[in-house]
This record gives sequence, C-alpha cells and structure tokens, in this order.
Amino acid sequence: MAPGLLGYTIRRLLWAIPVLFVISVIVFYMLRLAPGDPVDAILAKNYQEEQAQILRKKYGYDQPVHIQYIKYMNNLARGDLGISTRHRDFTASEVILPKIWVSTQIGFMALIITFALGIPVGVYAAMARGTFLDPLTISSWLALDAIPAFVMVPLVQWLFALKLGIVGLGYQGVWSSHMILPVLILSLPGVAGVARLMRASVISVLNEDYIRTARAKGLKEQTVVITHITRNALLPMITVIGLSLPGITAGALFVEQLFGIPGIGQESLAAVLAPDFDVILALVLFGSFLFVMANVVIDIVYSVVDPRIRLGAARGS
Amino acid sequence: MAIAGTADDLYAAGEIARPRRYRTLRALLRKKIAMIAIFYLVIFYSAGIFAPLVAPYDPNDQELTVEARRQPPSSEHIFGTDGLGRDLFSRVLYAARTTILFTLVVILTGGLILGLGLGLLAGYRGGWVDTAIMRIGEVLGGLPTLILMLAITASFRTRINGLSFWLEDHTWLGDDAKTLVKFTIIVGASVPFAWIGSSRIVRGQTLSIRESSFVLAAEAMGASTWRIVTRHILPGVMPLFVVGLSASMAGIAGAEVALSYLGLGIDPPGASFGNLISDAGFVRTFEQYPHLLLASSMPVVFFFFSWNLLGDALVDLFEPRTHTQG
Repeated sequence: MAPGLLGYTIRRLLWAIPVLFVISVIVFYMLRLAPGDPVDAILAKNYQEEQAQILRKKYGYDQPVHIQYIKYMNNLARGDLGISTRHRDFTASEVILPKIWVSTQIGFMALIITFALGIPVGVYAAMARGTFLDPLTISSWLALDAIPAFVMVPLVQWLFALKLGIVGLGYQGVWSSHMILPVLILSLPGVAGVARLMRASVISVLNEDYIRTARAKGLKEQTVVITHITRNALLPMITVIGLSLPGITAGALFVEQLFGIPGIGQESLAAVLAPDFDVILALVLFGSFLFVMANVVIDIVYSVVDPRIRLGAARGS
Repeated sequence: MAIAGTADDLYAAGEIARPRRYRTLRALLRKKIAMIAIFYLVIFYSAGIFAPLVAPYDPNDQELTVEARRQPPSSEHIFGTDGLGRDLFSRVLYAARTTILFTLVVILTGGLILGLGLGLLAGYRGGWVDTAIMRIGEVLGGLPTLILMLAITASFRTRINGLSFWLEDHTWLGDDAKTLVKFTIIVGASVPFAWIGSSRIVRGQTLSIRESSFVLAAEAMGASTWRIVTRHILPGVMPLFVVGLSASMAGIAGAEVALSYLGLGIDPPGASFGNLISDAGFVRTFEQYPHLLLASSMPVVFFFFSWNLLGDALVDLFEPRTHTQG
C-alpha cells in the first residue's frame, strides 16, 4: 500500500464513526419514543399491565432512554447486537444472519446476471451510437426498470406458473428452479443502469489514441472492441460493482414478500412493523457499515489496478 | 467578415455559439423518444392536476352490490370498478394527483432547497463546510434507505394519530387532515435521502465555475457573494441540476408508491397508485380480475418510464462523461 493510501483509508473510516454514531442515536430515539413498543406487540390482545411491567423490566424498556442507549452501545462494543422480541428471545444475530445469507445468495446471482447482460448491452449500444439501435437498446431495457417489482411479480407468476405451468411458486431453498423467476425479476431491471454507465465509459475510451493506434495497426475490429475498448472501459465499473455489493445483503423486500422467500428484506419489513427494536437497529447499522467498507475497498482496488490514481490528491481536502 | 453585426448575424455565420439553452432545447426536440415521453408526461400531469374536472365519478363513491364490484372495463367505467364498486378511472386520476403533489413537494424541499443550496454552499465555500456536507451525504447515501424510510414512517404514523384527530376537529381541513399528516410523514421520510445526488452534481459544477475568469472578475470588482452565486454561478449550474432531477424523478415518485403499497403511505380512501396496486396485486386476484392491476399500474409505469427516458435523453445531450463518476 502506498503511504498516502493508508492515511486516506484511515481518514475515511474515521469520518464514518461520528456519522454512524449520530444515525444510531437518531434511530434509537425514534424507535423508543414512538408509542407502542415490542411489549405491546408480544402481548397483543392478552395485554395485562402486570405482565407488561415484567416484560419491560426484562428487556430494559422501563429505564430512561439514554441509559438504554448506553447499555446498547456497551453490548454492541462486545459484538452483541441485542435480543429479538418478535422471535422471542433469539438474539438479533441469530435472527438476521441466516436470513442475510439467503438474501445474499439470491442477490449475488442477480448481480452477476445484471452485469453479465449490462456490460455487453452497453458496449453494443456505444458501438451503435448515431444509429437508432443505440437509443432503442437502452430504452427497451429502461422499460423493465420502470415496472415496480410488486407489479411485475403477479404478472410473471400468473404467466409462468399458472398459465404455462413452467415453474413452481413455493420456496424450496435457494438453489431450486423456483428461484428462477425471483432472480430474474431482481436482475433484469438493473441492466439498463449498468448498460448506460458502460456505454458512457466506452464512448469516452473510443477517442483515446491507443484505439486509433490499434486500428491503424490493422487489428481485427473484434480484437479492438474486446481487448482494447472493453477492457479499458471496464475500469470505472469497479465503483459500480463495488457499490452494488453491500446492497445485495439488504435483500429485496417486495420480491421476498411475494415469493415467500425467508430473506432479510421480508424480516426487515416485519421487524419495522412489529416493532422489533434491536433487529431494526442491527439491520441499519450492518447496512451502513458494509457501505462504508465497500467505499474503502473500492478506493484500494483502484489504486492497485491503476497506479496513476493518487488517492486524496484529486479530491481536495 | 462582419465586424459590427448583430448577434443574429454572428449566430448565422457560426462566429459565436448560440446560447446553450436553445441548443439543448432544439436537440431535445429532435429526439423522438424524448418527445413521446414529454407528450405522455403532459397528459399525466394535466390529468392529475385537473382530476376534479376530468373524473367522471367521485373517486370515493362506493357501490357495494355484487354486480357493481370489480366490473371489467365498459363504456360507463372505462377502467372498470374496484372491489368496493368505485370507478377505477377516477381513482387513477386522483392517484396521479397524489404522485404529482408528492414529487413536487420533495423536489422543492429536498431538491431545490437542500440539494441546490447545500451543493452551492459546499462548492463555493469549500474547506470544512464542503468536507462535512459531502461526507454526510456519502454516508446518508449508503444507509439502507428503504429500512430507514419504513422505520421513520412506521414509528411516526402511530405517534401523530392524535395530531391528525386534533387537526380534523379544530381546523378547516376536516377529513383531509389524516391524509395531510400521512403525506407529511412520507415527505419527511424521503427528503433526507433526496438531496444527496443533486447536491453532488451542483457542487461539482460550482467548483469548476468558481475558478473561471468571469467569477474572478466579479470578485475583483467587489460583487457580493450573493450576487456572484445567484448571477454568475447559478445559471451555469442549473442545466445539469435539472438533468439530475429529471433522472431521479422516477425514484422519488417510486418511494411514495412503494410506501403506500406497504400500507405506510397514503391509505384508502385517499387514492395512491401504491394502494390501488396493493388492492389488485396478488396473482389470484390478477387471474380473476386482470383489469384491476393493469389499469392501476400502467399509468404510473409509463410515468416512471417517461421520466427515465427523458432523463436519459437529457443526460445524453450533456457530455456523455457525466455518466461516469470515477
């Protein structure tokens, strides 16, 4: 690692601490100050004041909010994310980790498909620029991006499961044919975005001298496009791929809900509605932490891939 | 060589470039796809704004007989009727109204005030102000937005039920009070995340304009900061700002639709595409009554699509490099 890189990385990480701190305070207070707490949800119709008192004491909700916060942070520092009240007395990590794993596998498959389609589509559109094929290609993928998942899901479920009977609908684990529809619904809308970025990147590479040189040498057009243009145009895509990675662990709320996939998207909706304080906080902090890490990793990858990029220097103070 | 010609002569002779906005507008008009998108958006916006005039029925008029419910489209009800016998076309018009109002409010507050304001501040002031604004934006942008928006709306909705009852009893709002309060909550949940993208664009533009000679000249002449920012920097920032907004329009509108779909935004009887779709959006419902889902989702899908196309066309007109932020 270059000397500047280490300092830059540390500065970036240090910046994240106060902001994450503020966010944890805001979310913590917002949850506790709203009327209706997890105890109401646990007891529901059988609510009795005495029992509620006992439960509040057990989970510590009877104490002032700032004391609860300090306790929470103390536990967090020891890696304890707290206790779920919706899944009674499982720890928050026991609840979220298996579900995050389910969502991550599905999200990862979708991510691969998105980029595997988006990159060639973008190169194609860039090479076809000036003709009607360029806007037509991008627009037709943009159409998929415009359809919300909760509209798309009933349409494809009806067509492929009820009408054509090609696939089943129930959840049977991540690696079954029943996952084809969810994965496609997750991946195809993203293609337009990747294709647009790739197209712009290719166009900016096209004017480089080394492309003219490659053509002047008499290389085959195919070679020029693949090894000279596409390879160099892929460099800015590192950011895009890197920033998409933390997102896949967040799960896909609507798709999971409508296909009955026990992923973290579904759990976060249920946790918010219950409410399940510690699980919500764990999810927010986990997501934010991953994002910060992804940013740092991207910067490091860049400086390894392209030594010309001097971190910090180009970004001002 | 015309030495003392009018500006028009010079445009014609190609001596000087025409002002950029006209060039942009003409280039945009040449793009057929963008024209179709604009055409649809004009229809959508006029339908929404003039909903009370256009709607053939009261959107809340229920008719609970078996024959009146879930009617397929007919000449009487062109989009059919919903599960409570209400005219779906009228409900769609009012849902368009909700979408228009929501995006307008979010863009005015999150986009114009926060996005443009903070972007100009960060770009022109620089230093720690810049660092602070940009880092906060970076981290806010990295938060799991949907969970946070859900948490915000879910915790505030129950919390200010009292407020909406109070408003209902003590002000002229009447029945609209509940909707207004819920509307305010989802706006409040969206705005913290809506300013980040546009402030980044504005800051970048401001940074490059700040160094240009006309700004230095204005500074040397002793122009006030306010004057420099509004007269010299703002005009250069606006085009890209507008481009950025139009590209993010679908996302902003989508937030309201998604929240209402989950029952955390605008609830019935208030009409929103989200709650219309959630009434229709199960595969068994779709199998029996396909018109419910199609009629209530297609107008908003085309709305998203049009803004995406328009945004794409606009981005394209400005340098293609604006896509890539490295």
